[in-house]
Amino acid sequence: MIARWIDYLRERANIVRGCFFAFLLFAVLFDFVIDRPKPHFFGDTIIGFWSLFGLLGCLLMIIICKGLSHVWLERKEDPYDN
Amino acid sequence: MITDLFIHPTSWFILGALLMPFAKRFGVQKIWLIIIPLMAMATIYRLPDSFGIVNYLGFELQFGRVDKLTFIFLHVFTLMALIGCIFGLQVKESGQHIAAFLYVAGSLGVTLAGDYLTLFIFWELMAFASTFLIWYRKKQRSIEAGYRYLLVHTAGGLVLLAGIFLLYQSGHDLSFGVFSQEGAGWAEYLIMIGFLLNAAAPPIHAWLPDAYPEATVTGAVFMCAFTTKTAVYVLMRGFPGFEVLAIIGACMALYGVGYAVIENDARRILAYHVVSQVGYMVCGVGIGTAMALNGVAAHAYAHIIYKALLFMGAGAVLEMTGRSKLSELGGLYRTMPLTMIFTIIGGIAISGFPLTSGFVSKSMIVAAAGYNHQTILLVMLLLAGVGTFLSVGIKLPYFIWFGKDSGIRAKEAPWNMQLAMAMAAFVCILFGVYPAALYSMLPYAASYQPYYAYHLSETFQLFGFTGLGFYLMVKYLKPHDVSNLDLDWFYRKGSVRFINFAKGPIVSANEWVSNVYKNIGLSMTMALARAFSWFDKEGIDWTIDGSARNIVAGGNSIRQIQTGRIQHYIAAGVIAVVVVLVVVILI
Repeated sequence: MIARWIDYLRERANIVRGCFFAFLLFAVLFDFVIDRPKPHFFGDTIIGFWSLFGLLGCLLMIIICKGLSHVWLERKEDPYDN
Repeated sequence: MITDLFIHPTSWFILGALLMPFAKRFGVQKIWLIIIPLMAMATIYRLPDSFGIVNYLGFELQFGRVDKLTFIFLHVFTLMALIGCIFGLQVKESGQHIAAFLYVAGSLGVTLAGDYLTLFIFWELMAFASTFLIWYRKKQRSIEAGYRYLLVHTAGGLVLLAGIFLLYQSGHDLSFGVFSQEGAGWAEYLIMIGFLLNAAAPPIHAWLPDAYPEATVTGAVFMCAFTTKTAVYVLMRGFPGFEVLAIIGACMALYGVGYAVIENDARRILAYHVVSQVGYMVCGVGIGTAMALNGVAAHAYAHIIYKALLFMGAGAVLEMTGRSKLSELGGLYRTMPLTMIFTIIGGIAISGFPLTSGFVSKSMIVAAAGYNHQTILLVMLLLAGVGTFLSVGIKLPYFIWFGKDSGIRAKEAPWNMQLAMAMAAFVCILFGVYPAALYSMLPYAASYQPYYAYHLSETFQLFGFTGLGFYLMVKYLKPHDVSNLDLDWFYRKGSVRFINFAKGPIVSANEWVSNVYKNIGLSMTMALARAFSWFDKEGIDWTIDGSARNIVAGGNSIRQIQTGRIQHYIAAGVIAVVVVLVVVILI
């Protein structure tokens, strides 16, 4: 039952994608209307700061970690055999 | 003292472990596995503030010291033991259950210990018992990983013991109290290092991602809950407000999550993620305000449940498919949908979604960093949160249940595994929807309200746009069949290099010395020895009626029981410790 429901959604990937982008829009718009408590640091005062932080943080983390792994840390399965 | 014995929750698990073979013999092992944790849970509500004080060899040992901080940890440990036992019901081997029970016993013993000697005994019991949870996987890799795990923990235990000795030397007082940062010296910092090793703080963390993925399916569920969180508890007891912990913790949070982004094995990703989450807690201990410490206790509770839930999910997949590498999995939503839903609940709880336990616990530590104006810590912890959602919230479920279809059509996990996962998922959501259930157990007086508009807005944006980042980069995150080097290189490859060095110059020098000895020294020594031996046998033994001959015969028969297998010796050692403990508590 659950599997069929997921199949149904997978066949309509465009709608799911649309909902996701609508949520992103909502998250940014929501930040315009809320009350801001006393800020802890400058980021708390900028509208949409956490959107940028989330996106850049995620991209940087992927690029840096995957990059380090690729050029240095990565070994074929079990580097300690032999 | 007999009554004392039965109010100590540890005694239930020791009793449970000792009688487990009989329970199996009479076919009631499954009932036994449920009754013991339930009895221990019932016991913790009735504990007096102080009990089990024993004078032994001039030391005052305190087996029970109870306050609100102890209670919340006892509560989650016993609940976790129950969930873990239900998850492991289908395991027939009683040995695995005995190891798990002794491990839980050690953990409860540490939590209740009022002095460092008692703490140390239970600390070592935990290390030894948990090693068997790795060995019971019975694969070559697990046996090797188990030995490394044991060696690292023995080394950590020795550092702790050295600290305890120095502490005794300086004040002749081994009671387990709070240290102050100003007066801290060698003794305090050695003890802290011993604790930090169990908390898996880099650079002494590599034992954790080395050992946990090699443990048995149920073993990993137990291990992810107890060792690191017991370490968090003792750090909270001994070292609140030590600034160095705040820095170490924030680094741990990022370090663990960085590896979780790049690893391939599901249980290895989760193991690295334990390092990251414990980092939040260690950081909170370092911040040291009442709110931060409440956050640590709340986060420890929430984390034990959802991390166990994730390990149960990955374990169920391993049990049913025989695989745990993301590169070999995919498309499992068709046949294991319930396991998927439970694991995703764990994933969103650990990421800190609204209406889950992570949202109400993690944010307390982050907010405490904010109130203390420690902006760098705040940003590091929030960045680690982004990585958490990326690696465990999205990447792990996506590549196991969706992603490229691996063609595996495994059956859904057995009912007991699903029940255990459902219980853990229920707790994750209960605390998210009704935070007062968690907050009412917190040890310090500090009020915190997680649901306010700005916090919700921050969370929506962080998660939404982390999701966008994943969506944009998904092809770069595709798992490959690789593993990554970590600092265990130093004792795995480094030790091999040392041995190679030793084989060269050191061996040749040694050979030269032994040649000289063989040619000159040995013949002289042998002649002398023959002379003494003759005198001993014919002269002395004859005078005392041949008793030496009898001892030789006795020695030969004792030699038969020495099997030469270290596992047997360690098992015998653990049993001996338990017997000594029982005797000490009884006296």
